[in-house]
Order: sequence, then structure tokens, then C-alpha cells
Amino acid sequence: MIKVKEKANWPVMIFLILGLSAIAFPLYMTITIAFKQPSEMTNSISGILSLPKAWSFENFREAMKVTDFWNSLRNSLLITVISVVLSILIHSLMGYTLGRNRAKNKFYNFVYLFIVSGMFVPFAILMMPLAKQTAEIGLANWFGVVILYVVFYMPMNILLYSGYLVNIPMALEEAARVDGASTWTTYWKIIFPIMKPMHATVAVLTALSVWNDVMTPLVIMAGSDQNTLPLAQLNFQSQFGTNYNLAFASYLLSLIPILVFYVICQKQILNGVVNGAVK
Amino acid sequence: MKNERKRTFLLITIPILALFICFNTIPLIRGVIYSFTNFKGFGNYDWVGLRNYLDLFTDIRVGKSYWFTFKLAVVTTIVVNVISLLLALALNSKIRAKSFFRGAYFLPNILGALVVGYIFNYFFTYILPALGEMIGMDALKSSILSNPNTAWIGIMIVCAWQAIAMNTIIYISGLQTVPEDVYEAGNIDGATGWKKFRHLTFPLIIPFFSINMVLCMKNFLMAFDQIMALTKGGPAQSTESISYLIYNNGMSGGQFGFQSANAVVFFIVIVIISVTQMKITSSKEEQL
Amino acid sequence: MKQRHQRYFLLTACCMISALAVGGCKKSSNDGVTEIEIVQYKPEAAGYFKALEEEFNAAHDDIHLTISSPNDAMTILKTRFIREDYPDIIGIGGDINYSYFVDAEILADVSEYKGISEIKQAYIDIDEALELVPVDGIYAVPYAANAAGILYNKDLFQEHGWKIPETWEELMTLCKEIQSEGILPFYFGFKDTWTCLAPWNAIAVDLAPADTAKQVNRGNTTFSAEYREVSEKYLELLQYGPNDPFAYGYNDACTAFARGESAMYTIGSYAIPQILSVNPNLNLDSFVMPANSDKTANTLNSGIDLQFCVTADCENKEAAYEVLDFLYEDKNIQKYIDAQNSIPCKEGDFKLASVLDGMKNYIEVGNMTDFQDHYYPSEMAVDAQLQTFLIQKDVDAFLKKFDKDWKRYNRDIIRMVQEYEAKNTEK
Repeated sequence: MIKVKEKANWPVMIFLILGLSAIAFPLYMTITIAFKQPSEMTNSISGILSLPKAWSFENFREAMKVTDFWNSLRNSLLITVISVVLSILIHSLMGYTLGRNRAKNKFYNFVYLFIVSGMFVPFAILMMPLAKQTAEIGLANWFGVVILYVVFYMPMNILLYSGYLVNIPMALEEAARVDGASTWTTYWKIIFPIMKPMHATVAVLTALSVWNDVMTPLVIMAGSDQNTLPLAQLNFQSQFGTNYNLAFASYLLSLIPILVFYVICQKQILNGVVNGAVK
Repeated sequence: MKNERKRTFLLITIPILALFICFNTIPLIRGVIYSFTNFKGFGNYDWVGLRNYLDLFTDIRVGKSYWFTFKLAVVTTIVVNVISLLLALALNSKIRAKSFFRGAYFLPNILGALVVGYIFNYFFTYILPALGEMIGMDALKSSILSNPNTAWIGIMIVCAWQAIAMNTIIYISGLQTVPEDVYEAGNIDGATGWKKFRHLTFPLIIPFFSINMVLCMKNFLMAFDQIMALTKGGPAQSTESISYLIYNNGMSGGQFGFQSANAVVFFIVIVIISVTQMKITSSKEEQL
Repeated sequence: MKQRHQRYFLLTACCMISALAVGGCKKSSNDGVTEIEIVQYKPEAAGYFKALEEEFNAAHDDIHLTISSPNDAMTILKTRFIREDYPDIIGIGGDINYSYFVDAEILADVSEYKGISEIKQAYIDIDEALELVPVDGIYAVPYAANAAGILYNKDLFQEHGWKIPETWEELMTLCKEIQSEGILPFYFGFKDTWTCLAPWNAIAVDLAPADTAKQVNRGNTTFSAEYREVSEKYLELLQYGPNDPFAYGYNDACTAFARGESAMYTIGSYAIPQILSVNPNLNLDSFVMPANSDKTANTLNSGIDLQFCVTADCENKEAAYEVLDFLYEDKNIQKYIDAQNSIPCKEGDFKLASVLDGMKNYIEVGNMTDFQDHYYPSEMAVDAQLQTFLIQKDVDAFLKKFDKDWKRYNRDIIRMVQEYEAKNTEK
């Protein structure tokens, strides 16, 4: 890794800055609308692009009140964190097992395809049966939602983990095995740490899907008094009227935790391999 | 030693597989059972045998939704993979403010469907036509979402806009597995630009390419949120995706049994496609 | 090392299993207080119901009331029904879901509830008509009705001296006049398909029999026969809207109308809060859609917007009725109709919102007809078919498809109706 410090690649940066406008513009609209009043909403372009008349945090305060922000945030965080941790532990283990065995063992290959194809089951067909089933075994609560997430994202994450494994040479574990370590220990001691960039990727993707998901908590937790943030945000819209200003303020608020989480994970995605021994 | 390895793998597989079967396979089987009934989602129902399946093949609306869904999925998959691969390469190269760019390009993925729907509706309804007026392009002068022939393009743009972030992340994490010495070796050989990518980088990230293909197909074949946010299946029912029909008519409407049959057939179709896709890419992986 | 890790793994597994078991314990309060739970489907009225809940609980020791007003209540209700976890009372609209729920025997017969006698007969009749096949008993207590017709910008009308039209010809002349003065007569938000139903319903109640759908089910008529004039008039109306009405959504239309970009807007009273949120100073009134040439043949398009049904599963009917008594107190209904601009379903001396002034005559004499779309199954997507029709402007194709699809989507209902008819004629 001894490198002469190179100059920044300016053509690439210009490309990136230009591309940024596709993001900056919607973001600009989101922020200005979040600060505006309903009476400032118009259908004219100059009207929508203009800055709000006053930069008041009233919308944010009101949005926090309507969504019972701190309680909903707590529920959302609880569900997301536990789902992500369980996903990383369970899915990496399963991804490793299947990834290492499926090339030569028909059974594991079948299990792999079986689980991965679970990704394509339309949620709508599972919804009713799951609502019934979770209620029957007393899981019509946040914990049931977590278990469902662990199952729902299993196909995607196993696909990711076993794809990543392809680039991790067998030699590493074989060396450990020669030293007399068991498969279980080898996994946690050697393979699990090496997959760090993938853990970060899985964490980001899982967290994001969980954080934004409405349907699962809506169907499973219906009737309990607990709300997640996206559920609470449904309060802003109805068929006959949507308060976009409050809604946008609320979405901006709920965007922050996940963005922070992403930035942290992003560092891990980068650092991972440099520190690892994959060479 | 061998046996220990085998036993450990089996001990890992069985409980996790059981969990999966319990919350994915069993409800799916229950859904399949409903597909032979006229169940509305509540109350009583009668067995109707294969009627739902026979109806499925004569239903023009379902046929149209298949065409729309596949058109959307194929085009979006190509667009997303090209752009996100470029982005990943760019974000992985020597640039300033790397974290900032990576964070910024991730944003589209987190904005909620309501926000994305509102902004893009506004963009397509007001801003793009105004732009069309300005540069005098007739095609852009009316909203592309209001024309049954072009509405799918609007949905494609929004799907791509949102999905690029995720695919970029996967490509970036793939690029991390490309050892530096490969490049160094390449530099010695004088490989540059496209050649370097084609012969050095790309072969090494093929596993990630195939992951992205599968995930893209999955996401876009099952596109739902973007359609709800943008067109709700309109105009003139030209953007009804299969998932939209399954959800809207099965859950909100009273066609649960029929849409379960639709879901079952759809599931089988996607599994066949993805297994073929994985077979093709994995045979490519082996070639390299 | 190996063992410790394996133990962790087992521990996690155990935790998950025990959580499965513990999670099952549901709250059960048995301290002499009856729990009554209401789920009602109008989230826009959440504030009102929250206040009622508090007021009720403060005054009652023996009953504890919970009212939830979730968004997407229909999904929540349906998933709870499948779990057999029924709320005691549900607040829903008088539409096809109600028909399905009666058919599924989810609702209890409330004929014994004495408050029924105070409800306007017209609304009880609407509910009865909604039953797929006639069933003995009363399954809902109507609460509030909405009205749909034409909202208009009063200031614009006064400024130009325009008169409220009472016949179709007058309406068409008015539109031409408005247009000639450079003002857009109507705004449409047809990008949101459901808004296509608003003018449709308002025209259809004037021109087609109220029980069209039921007559078709019995095989007595076809939509092609009943809806031709409705479709043709709808196309005429379309000319007076914006250039590309399919580019704009409901929200765009509300904003545009609120900002005075059009003189009229064919929508229901439910849109008023959204319009006023953009422009609180808008001087707004409404009138009945005059789709007939004979003004006495016109009728107000009005249906049950909210009604309360006791579920068959409700254990304590007496307590439920006590809650209903409270909900139907005159002062509470007045508060509700003030907030929602709706029409009370109860007899009595209520003050209607001023935006309904133009419809008052019809309301007072009870000249009201239920929405046709309350009989359409949602999966048939009549709203989307209407949008297609308005884009393609082909009346024949639209009506032909309507008849064909109706048979396809209502197959089981038609069979049920005809079996019922056959049985009754035998007798």
C-alpha cells in the first residue's frame, strides 16, 4: 500500500459534480417545501423554486408532535438495530455455509436456490397468511416484525455474502484448520472479520429497507398501539388531503439517523479489505 | 476433521432453514391454497378449482401488466447497471471529498416514497414541459406521465434514480476486493482506461455484477412503490405492474384468491428467469 | 473458544424461542371495566375522535373507550379480520366494502339499538340497498353523509354576474361564457384516477336509475343502455377543463382551483379542507350537478361517508350501544359536520356548513341519491376505465368493456343474486 500521493482525478470529479445536480435539485425542493406553509404551495415553477417566506422550524415541531416522534423513533430504531444485528450474524453464517458447500454438494445448492428464490415471492401473497400466522403464535408485535425482516432479507443477504466469498480464498481457512481450529471457530475468528466490508454493505441495505418499510409493521402490528416512524408518517396523507409541508419536514427528520448510519458504514466498506489479509 | 466440518455446517443450516420455511414457505403454501378459492381476504370462500388460473390466461389486463413490467424491468436494469458501475468506478477513484460524494449519491435511496412521488410528479408535470417549451422540443411539451405511451419512461427514471445508490454500494464493495497489485501489474503491462476495466477490473467484480443483475430484476419486476407514487397504474391503465395488480386488487380489492393465483404464476416466472440468469453468469464466472 | 461461541448461538436461539412464547401473552383487563374499541377509517377526523374518546372516558368508569383512526384503515381492518381480532365497533363508509362485510357476516344486527329510530330513513334505505342480496336486520348506523357536485369560486361568479345553472343546457352555456372571458371553467385532476369518478357519479345520479348495478346483476338491463348519456355528457364536460387534465393530480387541481385558476371544480365536499389549506380566504360554495334538461329531475349526489357498525364478535353489546349513544349526541354530530363539511344522517336541527348552501334545498327535502360507484367492486378499477375512456373518447368501446368486465368481476355476486331471485320466485 505504499503509494505516492496522487493528484485528484479532475475529469472524474467534474462528472460527479454534474451528476450531483440530479440529487441536489430534489433535495432542494424537499428542504424548501419542509419549511413552507401550505398557503405557499403553488403550481407555478417560480413559486415552487422560491425560498420559503420564513425559515421557521414550526413545521418540524408540529411534525414531531403529530408523529409522536420520540416514541416512534425509538420503535423504529429498536426494530432496525435488532434486525440488522441478527441479519449480519445469521445471514453471514448461512451465506458462508451455503457459499462454501454449494459448488460440490447438491443439498446445499438446493437450499441456496430455495432460499434465494424466496426473494421473488410477492409480499402481497404472504401478507394475509403471515398476519394470521404471526397472530396465532403470539408474534403480532415488534418482535414478530423483526423475525419477518430476518426472513425477508435472508435471500438477498445470502446472495451478497456468498458472492463475496468467491473472492476470499479457501487457503485462509485451510491454514487455520491445519492448526487444529474447528470450523465454527475458524468462521468467527477468520472469515467473519474478513467479510467486514460485506457486513457494512448488508447493514446499510438491510437497515435502509427496514427503516423505510411500511407494509410489514402495518400488517403485523395493526391494532397494537405502537408505531414506527413510517407508520406514523402515514398520518400526513389521506386520499382527500395531504399536508406536504409537515410530511416533508418529518421525512427530513427521519432521514438523518439512517444517513449518519450510512456514513459510518461507508468507512467500514472502505477500510475492510485494506486491513484484511486478502492478497 | 471432515465430519466435524460437515456436522457444523448441518447444524448451522437446519435451524436457519427451519426459520425460513416457517415464515416464508409455509405462508406461501397457504397463499397457494387460497389461489384455488374465491377468497376475498375475509369471510367465507368457496373452492373454485383451477378457475383463477384459467382466468389468468384470458385476462387482458394481466397480460398487459406482464408486458409493462418486463419492459420496465429490462430497461431499468440496463440503465441502472451502466450508471451505477460508472459511479462506483468514479467514487472509487482518486477524488477529493470522497465521503461527501458517497453520502450525497446515497440520498435518493432514503427519501420516502411520498417525497419522491411529489417531487417527480412536479418535475414531470410542470418543470419538464416548461423546459420543453424553452428548448422547443415538442416531445417534452406535455407531461410524459399523462401520455399512455411515455408514462413508463417516467417510472423508469424514478426507479433508476432511487436504485442507483444501492447498486453503486454493491459495486463499490466489489471494487474493494480487487487487490491493488492487479492494477499495479496492469499498469506495468500498460493497460489503461477501457482496456484496464474490460480485462482487469470487470472480471474480478463479475460476482457483484451478477448479484446486481438479480437484485435489479427482483426490484424492478416487483416495482410497486414508484408506481403508487407516480401514476397509480394510469394513464389508461398503461402502468399497472404485476405487483400493483396483486396488491391493489388482492389486498385492497376483493380479489384475493385470483391475485394469489397471479402471484403464484408470477413467482414461478421470475424464479425461472433468475435461475437461468444465475446459471449464465456463473458459467461466465467459471470461464474466467 | 469454540464452545463459548456455540453457547452464544444456542443462547440466541433460546431467546428467540422464548420471546416467541412470551410475546403471546395478550393484555387482558378484567377489573370490571368493559373495553370498547372503535376503528374508524377517516384519518382526517382523527382529532375529533381523539377528543371524543377523552371526553367519554372522563365521564365513564365502567367503560373504557379507545378510538383509533389509522391511515389505510381498510388494510388494517382486513388483516385484523383474518386474525379474528375484531374491534367492537368499526366506522366505515357506505360502499362495497360494507356490502362485503355484511355478506361475510362480520357485522351484528343492530335493529334493537334504539338510536336507529332517530336516523333519517333515507340513509337506512341506502344501507339496505347496498346489501348484495336482501338480508334481514340493520347492520350499520349511518353517521354522516357527504355530497358531491360542483364547487365554485363565489367571488369569480359574483364579479362576472354568472348564474348558478339548473339544467345541462344552462351549464353548457355558462361554460362557454366563462371560457369566452378567458377563464377556465373546470379544473380536473385526472392523473389521480379516483377523481374521474367524482363528475361521473354526479352526472350518473341524475341520468341513470339509482339501482342500475343491482338491475344489471338481476339481468334486467345493461350498462350500455343506462350509461350512454352519462358517458356522452361527461365527454362534453371534458372540453371545458384544462388542456391535458391527465397531467394533473388531485392535489394540483385543488391548488389550482384554490388559487382561482378555474371557476368551478367537480368534486365532493371532502375536498374542501385541502382547498382551503392552500387559500384560506377563498369564498367557496357548491351546487348540484345539473345533468338533466328538466331541472326537477336533478338530484344531489350524496352517500354515507361514515357509519358505525357493531361487529358480530363484540361481547358487550350494551356497552357498545352506550358508546354509540354518546357518538350520536347532537352536539357531537354538530362538531363533526362542522369539521368535515358533511351532512348529518340523524334527524334534528343541525347547522350545515356554509359551503353546502347551494345544495341545501336538496338536502332539506331529501332529494339525494347514493354514489353509483358504491356498487362497483374496487378491483374492476372503474376509475381507471373512466380515465382510459376520457383519454380515448370512445363511448362504445368503453360501455362494451364496462358490461363485459362487470360480468367478469361480479361473477360470484351475480350468481348469488340470481340464485336468490330464483328461490324467491319459486315461493
